This record gives sequence, C-alpha cells and structure tokens, in this order.
Amino acid sequence: MEGAGGGPGTQEVRACGRALGGNCRVALLDEEHLGPYAPGLYAEALRALITDGDGEDPAAPLVVLLPHTYQSAEYAPRLAVRLDAAYIASVSAATIDDAGRVRFRRSILQARLRAEVRPRKRTVVATVQIGAFGGTDPAASPDAVVKVGRPADIEEHEEREVLGREAAGGGGVDLAGAERIVTAGRGVGGSDEVSVAAELAVALDAELGASRPVVDNGWLPREHQVGSSGHIVAPNLYLALGVSGSIQHLMGMSGSRIIVAINKDPEAPIFSVAHYGIVADLHEVAPVLTRLLEARRSS
Amino acid sequence: MRIGVCIKQVPDTDSQLRIADSGRGIDDSDLNWVISSCDLCALEEALLLAEAELARGEERPELVVFSLGPARVEEALRKALALGADRAVHLADEALQGGDALADGRALAAAVAKEHCDLVLTGAQSDDIGQAATPAVIAEILGFPYAWLVMAVELDSGKRSLRVVRELEAGMNEVLRLDLPALLAIQSGINKPRFASLRGTLQARKKPLRHEDRRGLEVDAARVGAAGAGFETESVTLPPAGAGGVMIEGVSAETAAEELIAHLEREAVL
Ligand SMILES: Cc1cc2nc3c(=O)[nH]c(=O)nc-3n(C[C@H](O)[C@H](O)[C@H](O)COP(=O)(O)OP(=O)(O)OC[C@H]3O[C@@H](n4cnc5c(N)ncnc54)[C@H](O)[C@@H]3O)c2cc1C
Repeated sequence: MEGAGGGPGTQEVRACGRALGGNCRVALLDEEHLGPYAPGLYAEALRALITDGDGEDPAAPLVVLLPHTYQSAEYAPRLAVRLDAAYIASVSAATIDDAGRVRFRRSILQARLRAEVRPRKRTVVATVQIGAFGGTDPAASPDAVVKVGRPADIEEHEEREVLGREAAGGGGVDLAGAERIVTAGRGVGGSDEVSVAAELAVALDAELGASRPVVDNGWLPREHQVGSSGHIVAPNLYLALGVSGSIQHLMGMSGSRIIVAINKDPEAPIFSVAHYGIVADLHEVAPVLTRLLEARRSS
Repeated sequence: MRIGVCIKQVPDTDSQLRIADSGRGIDDSDLNWVISSCDLCALEEALLLAEAELARGEERPELVVFSLGPARVEEALRKALALGADRAVHLADEALQGGDALADGRALAAAVAKEHCDLVLTGAQSDDIGQAATPAVIAEILGFPYAWLVMAVELDSGKRSLRVVRELEAGMNEVLRLDLPALLAIQSGINKPRFASLRGTLQARKKPLRHEDRRGLEVDAARVGAAGAGFETESVTLPPAGAGGVMIEGVSAETAAEELIAHLEREAVL
C-alpha cells in the first residue's frame, strides 16, 4: 500500500499509512527529479510508479495516500481516474478490519457532519487532512523511500506554464505575531456588523481576524483572513465570533493556546476545538463582553 | 466561442441538518436547496468573461450551464438562466443519480464534450460533499489543461489561451498560462455573484433547457450513477461537541460574559 509527497503533510501521510498497517512504501516527489509541478505530469509519474510496483497480492487493498495540500489535492483525483481507483478526499481517520476492509472518516457539509466511508474498489487514492493524525513520532519505523522519476513521454503532460508567483493581498496586519485575536465569522451578518468584533478586539487589545466568507464578501480586507489560505496563527487567546469551524479555518488557528467560540448553533464544529464555548447570539453577548472588559481595564 | 459552467445544487448551509433514519446521509425531506457557493462564482466569472468579450467588440460567447441531479435541480438551472446563461442541460436520468465525484465527472465530461465547449468553469469544491474532485475528473477525461482554486481569469485576444491566477496556501498565488480548451475550478472570492433581475427571471422561462440521459451521453451504465461510485457512506454522525471544553449555555448574556471573563482571568490571558 501507499505513497506520499515530501513536503507539508508528510507526517500525516505516514501516520495514516501506519494506522492501516501493511507494507508502506513512501514515494518522494520533488521538482529536482520531476521538473516543475503540473497536475498531469505528477499524476502520470505516480501512476507509472504505482502500476509498475504493484506486484503484490491482487486481493489485498492498495491504498495510495497523499497530503491534502493545494498541490496534491489538485491532481489526486486525476491519479484516481488513471488507476481506476476510488477517490476519497481529506480524510481524518483510517481503519482496517480483520477482513482487510479499509474505512476512512471525512467531514461533509462544511464540517457540520462527519461520514465514515468505505471504498468499493481494490485501489483507493485518499488525501490526508493536514493536522489530523497529530502527535506522531517522526523517527518511528523508517519506511522504504522511492524517488519518483520523470515519465518518458513527458511533452504530453506539460499542459500549463507557470508565469510567476505573487502575494495574494497587502500586509499591514500582524496576525502571526499577535498575542490575542478576535475573529469575525460570517455569523456577524454584514459589513456594518463587523464593528461588534472590532470593538471587542479593541477592548481585549487584540488583532482582528476574519474567516474567508467575511473577506470574500468584502466586509474586511484579505490580510485579516485566518485559515489554510490565509494566516496560520497560534495566539494565547483566539476568540471566534460566528465562525462555524470548517477544516480550512481550523487549520489556521487550532494551535492557539486558549480558544473561545461564541456561536448560536450548539452543534457548530468550532465547539469541538473550543476550550470555552458560549452558545448564544453573538450580537447579544459580544457587546456585553466589550463593556465588561472596558470597565475591568479602567478600574 | 462556447463556455460551459457546471453547477451543483446543495442544501443551504444555513438550514437545519437532520441525520436520516438510515444513518447514512441527511434527511432531505425539508431542506432549502441552493446553487453551491463556488459554483455561483464560476457562473459569475463566465458572465464577466462574456461581457468583456462583448465590450472589446467581439462576439459574445455562448454560455451553457450543466447540472446533474434529480428534478429539483431544474430550479438551479432556471436560476442560472435568469442570471444570464443562454442554455441549460439537465443530466436528470435516473441512471446517472447517486454517484460520487468520479461517476458524476464521467457523465458531465460526456455532456460537456457533446456541446463542444472551449472553456469549462466549475466551482472549486461543493458545499455538501466537498471532495473537490469533479472538475479534475472532467478535465482528466477530456484531456483538458486544468487549474484548481482559480482567483482570476483573463482570455487572450486571440482566444487561444488563458492567463490564470491560482491560489496557493498561506496567502500566495501562482500565475499560469493554459491553452484552450481548458477547465478551471473557481475559488470563492474571485468575484461577487450578481442577483437575478425580474427581467432575467421572466426571460429564463423561455430559454432552452434540455434533458440528457445515459444513452444519449453514451456512457457505460456501470461507470456512472450509484453503480459507478467508488465509495459508499456507511454512517453519518455529528462531530463530538465541546470535546473537553467548558460550555456556557442557557444563561443571560451578562452572566455568560461574566463567566467567560472569570475563566480567562484564571487562564491568565487577559
Ligand atoms: C481551498 C479552500 C480554502 C479555504 N480557506 C479558508 C481560510 O483560509 N479561512 C477560512 O476561514 N475559510 C476558508 N475556506 C472556506 C471554508 O470552507 C468555510 O466556508 C469558511 O471557513 C466558513 O466561514 P464561517 O465559519 O465564517 O461561515 P459559516 O460556515 O457560514 O458559519 C457561520 C457561523 O455563524 C453562526 N452564526 C450565525 N449568526 C449568528 C449569531 N447571530 N450569533 C452567533 N453565531 C451566529 C452560525 O451558527 C455558523 O456556525 C476555504 C475553502 C476552500 C475550499
């Protein structure tokens, strides 16, 4: 079973592979050997490696694991098509039963529910959620490592050209270095209502963060965004107002020392990482919190 | 030029979700259905591209929307027509329903190929199952150049290639060039989707919407719909709430705020 990239998520992929037992082979993909990343190229290189190396028991499951990064999640479904495999994205747990049946857990409906899924094919390509499978020992059981080589018919796969890289938004907000962060989620309700988070941030001497929809809707500029496509933060105190707790948001803040969530939905997934949770309308609680904190400061 | 847009109808994420009696999915008897948020951005981007072509004196590309799903999906397609799409294709055949991203991608690829689209746009990830795989599967099957998480699109003047900005992690972007025909999976935040006008809604009723079935698409029955799905869902559960955390619930705002401040003082984070 398995396979993996070199960069971010390598630990998670190895831990997930270990949870499934079996023989692990780790495949390293790097630009030095493969050339610049393109989805078709990487899918083809892995397909060749996996089909050639699959001399094992044809009845045993073949599980190919990749980290759920913006690179491998882009081409992993294409690899699944080429291998005629099942595809399961962003898994957070994996088990195998005595009969050799593999099961994965993944979040659905914006992390509001989680599903246990079982592949219906012998080969399965799965991406592993970054941050799941935490706390593994990097030194444990050195797996056999293979470097992935360049496929022979290379021209066919260079389907796009990289013109350059650029920063997505302006700087100016020191979220990464902040001691305390108050984050406005979509639950604040609108650009005029963001002030309820901003005022609480001032009272706490905190920086102001935002979830992605708050930025996408133009309620706050992009440099406030926390999450996988924004800032990764780990302040002493993270206070989330009207944030549901999607995987992408949690990736940006779950390392915070104390997490507080205020949400009117008792089933919001943010509560599963919160140290303190208030189930209430944020527009009722946050202004009171601001007033009490201001009074506390001036006394 | 013809631009195809694939949209998915999903439960409104603000609606109350109940787990079905079977324990394998959600109870869909009482849900509000909407177009998945990134898919609306994909449609908006197609409309903007068409308008930009018109503004530079070119012929306006034709916009065709595709959706796979049961009868209720017609409402999503009518909405897309009201927003400005020209034609709609509904993959409504029973034999195509109940699939996963691989099965749906195969059916949609066949429908897109039949319409000879030069550019196909989809959302980056659906708000329900969220595998982010259907667009990649369509691109793979059609052999189209592909980019996921697209934050900007520009068509070159010769309509032969695209300049595309793709999002990377941690606030970085990558700038790419792709030759047409191509498929782009659009990320939220690329634009602000417009609202349908009354006039658009009235016009939408008269715009062509046709049904497509498995035979017409010439896809193998074993590779689409429930039969073609690569995995099955055994159970669906709520994530564990308040795993170890202190929950403050059912008290006044004043009490909740006071309790929280007391906790935070003890944690020495104030
Ligand atoms: C590739 C990719 C990258 C992404 N990157 C990021 C990222 O970097 N950061 C990010 O945040 N997201 C990111 N997302 C989006 C992510 O999937 C979620 O859509 C997003 O995090 C949801 O934001 P939210 O919690 O503010 O909104 P929602 O999920 O809509 O949640 C709003 C919450 O507010 C609550 N609420 C509503 N009204 C009130 C009220 N009056 N009082 C109290 N509570 C209320 C609701 O109960 C709900 O829980 C990304 C998605 C993709 C596909």
